[in-house]
Amino acid sequence: MTRAAVRYGVTALVLVAFTTAVLLLAGAPPWDAYRSLAVGAFGSWGRLARVLTVWVPLTLCACGLLYTFRIGLWNIGVEGQVVMGAIGATWALRHPAPSAPVAVAGALAAGVVLGAAWAYAAGLLKTRGGVNEIFAGLGLNFVAQGFVLWLIFGPWKRPGVASMSGTAPFPPELWLPTASWGRVAPVAVALAVVAVAATAALLARTRVGLHLSAVGRNPRAAALFGLSPARNMLLAMALGGGLAGLAGALQVAGVYHRLIPAISSGYGYLGLLVAMLAGYRLAPVPVIALFFAALNVGSIQLPLVLEVDSSLSGVIQGAVVLAVLVVHGWSARRAPEGTP
Amino acid sequence: MRTRSLAFVAAALAVALAAAPALAGDAFRFGLLLVGPHNDRGWSQAHYEAGRHVEKTLPGTQMVYIDKVNPADRPGITIPQLVDDLVDKGCRLIIANSDDMKDGVLQAAQEHPDVYFVHVSGDHALTGTAPPNLSNLMGRMEYGKMIAGAAAALTTRTGKIGYVGPLINDETRRLTASCYLGARYAWEKILGRPAKDLEFRVSWIGFWFNIPGVTADPTQVSQNFFDNGYDVVVSGIDTTEALVVADQKRKQGKAVWAIPYDYEGACDTAPDACLGVPYFNWVPGYTELLRQAREGTWKSTWLWLGPDRKDLNNKETSSVGFLPGPALAPEAKAKLDAFVRDLAAGKTNLFQGPLNYQDGSPFLAAGETASDRQIWYMKQLLQGMEGQSSAK
Amino acid sequence: MHIQLVDIHKRFGAVHANRGISLSVGAGTIHGVLGENGAGKSTLMKIVAGFLPKTSGEIRLDGEAVSYRGPADATRRGIGMLYQDPLDFPALTVLENFRFGLETAGRDPRALLADLAGRFGFDLPPDRVVERLTVGERQQLEILRLVARNVRTLILDEPTTGISATQKDVLFAALRRLADEGRSVILVSHKLEDVQVLCDRVTVLREGRVAGEAERPLRTNDLLGLMFGTVPHPPPRCENPAGTPVLRLDGVSAPGGRAGLRDCTVAIRRGEVVGLAGVEGSGQGVFLRVAAGMVRPRRGRVLFEDAPLGRRAAAGRVAFLPTDRLGEGLVPGLTVREHFVLRLPRVPFLLDRATAGPDARAGIDRLSIRGTPGTPVEALSGGNQQRLLLALLPERPAVLLLENPTRGLDLESAHGVWRELQRYCDAGTALVFSSPELDEILLAADRILVFHNGRMVLDTPASRTTPDELARAIAGLGTGAAA
Repeated sequence: MTRAAVRYGVTALVLVAFTTAVLLLAGAPPWDAYRSLAVGAFGSWGRLARVLTVWVPLTLCACGLLYTFRIGLWNIGVEGQVVMGAIGATWALRHPAPSAPVAVAGALAAGVVLGAAWAYAAGLLKTRGGVNEIFAGLGLNFVAQGFVLWLIFGPWKRPGVASMSGTAPFPPELWLPTASWGRVAPVAVALAVVAVAATAALLARTRVGLHLSAVGRNPRAAALFGLSPARNMLLAMALGGGLAGLAGALQVAGVYHRLIPAISSGYGYLGLLVAMLAGYRLAPVPVIALFFAALNVGSIQLPLVLEVDSSLSGVIQGAVVLAVLVVHGWSARRAPEGTP
Repeated sequence: MRTRSLAFVAAALAVALAAAPALAGDAFRFGLLLVGPHNDRGWSQAHYEAGRHVEKTLPGTQMVYIDKVNPADRPGITIPQLVDDLVDKGCRLIIANSDDMKDGVLQAAQEHPDVYFVHVSGDHALTGTAPPNLSNLMGRMEYGKMIAGAAAALTTRTGKIGYVGPLINDETRRLTASCYLGARYAWEKILGRPAKDLEFRVSWIGFWFNIPGVTADPTQVSQNFFDNGYDVVVSGIDTTEALVVADQKRKQGKAVWAIPYDYEGACDTAPDACLGVPYFNWVPGYTELLRQAREGTWKSTWLWLGPDRKDLNNKETSSVGFLPGPALAPEAKAKLDAFVRDLAAGKTNLFQGPLNYQDGSPFLAAGETASDRQIWYMKQLLQGMEGQSSAK
Repeated sequence: MHIQLVDIHKRFGAVHANRGISLSVGAGTIHGVLGENGAGKSTLMKIVAGFLPKTSGEIRLDGEAVSYRGPADATRRGIGMLYQDPLDFPALTVLENFRFGLETAGRDPRALLADLAGRFGFDLPPDRVVERLTVGERQQLEILRLVARNVRTLILDEPTTGISATQKDVLFAALRRLADEGRSVILVSHKLEDVQVLCDRVTVLREGRVAGEAERPLRTNDLLGLMFGTVPHPPPRCENPAGTPVLRLDGVSAPGGRAGLRDCTVAIRRGEVVGLAGVEGSGQGVFLRVAAGMVRPRRGRVLFEDAPLGRRAAAGRVAFLPTDRLGEGLVPGLTVREHFVLRLPRVPFLLDRATAGPDARAGIDRLSIRGTPGTPVEALSGGNQQRLLLALLPERPAVLLLENPTRGLDLESAHGVWRELQRYCDAGTALVFSSPELDEILLAADRILVFHNGRMVLDTPASRTTPDELARAIAGLGTGAAA
């Protein structure tokens, strides 16, 4: 317990030292930069709402990745699954529905299904085709990105317009309703919270979690217990892909209200980072996701207030990862001997 | 971890609450949302510098800007969010400089009825869908593009002119067509050569600037033009790739030229290859709209501002201009000057029938002169132009 | 070299592996360290060889107290250790491995290797790639390396596991010779007969402490008494009339192991106990996995109760116990109870801390596993892991396939395993097991199949064969039955 506290403390120190150095190099006064970041992320209800808007997809993606990490798979394809979720939602919203709530619910469901299907495809390539899931995922990411570009430039283009900027926005009644106090859809936040709770329950309290652990830690022994590694891998992929697809669908229905090429906003890859920094455990995921979301949103203040390029936030993000890895490396080396 | 992070959040909130909003006294703040980098030597820089200029000429105004406002550069950020930020910073007039921001600006204008909005290049005020606090602003770049086309035709030796187009919409169709009209006029009427010997091809990249992996690469597109015998490439995008590539090809010994776009200083990138640049001067438009907003005489309008026909490059009066480049040969420049004079005097009007659309259907009957609306909403490219007219 | 260990303690977190061990090994002697699994033998030897730091106590070499900075330091001081798994470079040749890190001081390493090998009666082709050597030959190579580096004390951890009888004789002769040259040899083993044949003096460990010492002549019952407190009785044999065929292999060829399995046709009958003999990797492992439905045959058919063996068809009826318990049989990271959950015929969707708890406790009691339902399986000792695997077996399998079921187990644990297997045999289950110990096969099996180079070369009732015939078959020498 105290060891963990020391580790977090040291991580924070390394992180601050590193980012301060970067800020000084970039010619920004560090204290002002930190303050703008904090104010930019939490300075008002509106800002907090925006942080939550980023937190939702990050948390969903990271939660989904826990299933695949649990079974020992690297679901790099999460990015493409977000994109496919967005495509699914857009497809559904383009079709008439009896009422707006039905349409939006259908869009979210379509996103989940398409995201899960895309992950399932990567899983099939792994279990049937023997393709490493990292390469399968990367390949499918490219396919999904190409698909979204084709849809935007082709079948789903705005009338008379051929532009990569995106499809025509949906009428406001098809948007996820936003909160009165800020630009965030309470439904999206609730879904993310439910996803965290469901993931916690599923991994710790059900057959599914036990089976994923068993296959992940020893596929050969799991087979002796009558578990099919392939079937469980596909299940983990589908669960993870479903959550990523939901993230993509929420990007369409709750944030952009249309399909754009950058619809995933890189949240899939960032979600991988969140899951890794959380040590593949669920408890830290919401907190780390909140931190990244705050950094993402707060960084717009850097150009606005200090006229520093906001890509600095990317450098800070990198510094976080580095600090955590460095401290993790130290503490692993100093771990007590033995413990066979 | 959890308690520690909560502590961090709490600390951040404390800092946030302690920090009072730093608002400058009585300054009239206006905000600029730039789609590209503020120093892109193109579209966004033209806006940025007009803002800086107006800040000086209209004492008491102050500019705040955010650049690279597009989903590729700022993932997860939307226009209404950034408008919230600018309003928080005290901005009372907000200028959004991209066609891409069309829907976001409309939404933000409805959400902030007490703040004035300008959407550059849009048509909400023309179609009557704009709320009272939203105006549109655009320069009559058709003028500059016709001159650019003429400069290209007066220079080309192969008779092949390439056009690097951004995406396809009303605006880009009319500008590309203008360029073609200028080129065809110069080719036939000034040089007296047969129309069939002139080739004019458009290649669209898909957005206003290069987004790796999303758009076609404009560098590649320009290279293709030059490698296939097109010796003048006219740029219709926000950035200067065509000019840079032309300069490289010249250094390899090829006789090629390019015409950049948008920004007065664009030729400086590679003067030896630059035939000139049609550019926007947003100073008159900004000045007018800021004046309306400050004096309370604001009215939702659709401003389509033209050149100063007496002084094409006047900073205070001419909203579009053309600066000839160092690479333009003296005799060609003389002919171009004459063409510009005729254009200014109204002796030459290129938007006059008979003109057909690309598929042969009539655009203007013989003798018919196009109205603003007809030009603004062109349905296709014109007969004689090669390239896509609309999305497939 | 005279080695003295004084009051050595070693703790791994809460586990107290060595609890004040003192012993003394004289120069020129062969000293045995005997004890059942988990007695603390390997831990103690790793401390002596510098692989583990001790928690407290003192190591004296020739009277001088030392503390090492690592195994290399220990080697410099003249202590070398031979591990259960050889620490060599499989992709390099014998000579390259031999030269590695060796200062030959101007001597031609090839000549030096030939010289040393001749002295100890080893036959090591210098240009053969090490991965193609047998375990015994790799051991010989390792010994020569250590001797060439002038090691004065040689520690061997279970050196007779996985080597042939001939290799064992050669090894023991070499160790004798080393002792005669004035070097000390420490032999760590749980096999009484090895220690009895070779050692001058024996220290017996039990539960991390010295249980007692003995000198030549070493009497079996004395040693067993020290190891276990009481002398274990051998288990009764299963006597069952063989029934109808239950599992058939029909012209089966399958990949795997060194030699794969080639063209194997055999029928296993209800209630019989079949022992699979052969040099490790001769096809027994593949045979068991094919019979378990885990490896798909490349040619031929496997029939269970006259139907093709499918993955699910025989679930619960054909059970397999692999030799590599943590690698293949159990899931590290999961607890004992969670293994019992996995074994439930229908795992409920919702689980809690009580799910399968009674099963786990019953299994722990029945097989006297040292652990609780909440113990992670990797924290169990080898013997307890094996007992857990037995406890996890389905209630009534028709065929039980066991790969080296007593590997690494001491006598008491091995007997316990057989007593448990007895129950299945009595209930009519067919047992098929492989073992590197011919004794065990002769003791337990009704019928013996001998494998050589992927082929089944002998199929005989145990009552109608001799160790000699089996040994010839194992070596691939003609028995008439060989193809």
